[in-house]
Amino acid sequence: MSIILKLFVFPISLIIICLGINTILGGHITPGGGFQGGAMIAGGLIFCIVVYGLKESPFKLSHNFLASLESAGALGFVILGLAGLFFSGFYLYNLGVDLYGIVPVAIQAIFNYPDPINAGIIPYLNYVVGIKVLVGLSAVVIAFLGSDEVHGENKQ
Amino acid sequence: MIFYTGPLVLGFLLGFILGTRIKTSPESKLKFDREVYAIVVIVSIIVAYFLGPFPYYKDGPFASGFVSAIVGIIIGKLTLGR
Repeated sequence: MSIILKLFVFPISLIIICLGINTILGGHITPGGGFQGGAMIAGGLIFCIVVYGLKESPFKLSHNFLASLESAGALGFVILGLAGLFFSGFYLYNLGVDLYGIVPVAIQAIFNYPDPINAGIIPYLNYVVGIKVLVGLSAVVIAFLGSDEVHGENKQ
Repeated sequence: MIFYTGPLVLGFLLGFILGTRIKTSPESKLKFDREVYAIVVIVSIIVAYFLGPFPYYKDGPFASGFVSAIVGIIIGKLTLGR
């Protein structure tokens, strides 16, 4: 890759990642959400990996890190769903909003996202979906680049 | 001015997690010194200003999630990303 790309891509990828995080955090109130924000973060990471290569990329995304992050995202979603099932009887019940008035106020306060909109658990769901998507998309590119390197070594 | 902890905490957390992964390998010729991060912070403050706060948020003229994310990335890089 050219030296201009190598100079600019890392700082720009940081900005793209921050924009993705902002998109995830505003998913309940503005266009966007977990998938879109996660895809933007993955785009920033992929940008770096494609330009610098797997070995020289400033983002060191190991297999263990990606696996634990994806597991945390999936577990977070399931735990939020099961919390709804446990406290209200409905899977993924929005405990923070409590439309049916069947949840104690203390539980409602715990699960309500602290912002001016009464969104309940929706931002948390966006967040865990974003984590899962960012890992999934970047893992695909890392796997393809890794297999390409292994393939290239075998051919030589 | 009201500070909403939701976007501040969650943005910082995800930024911190990703910031800890920024590691330069010793054999690499690429070097991103503190000047690069200073420029990124200045540019991100400008971007956050032009993004503006989310609708119904009254926490100042900046996108709070964006600012907390860049702060998280920098702190994550400084603490664990070496």
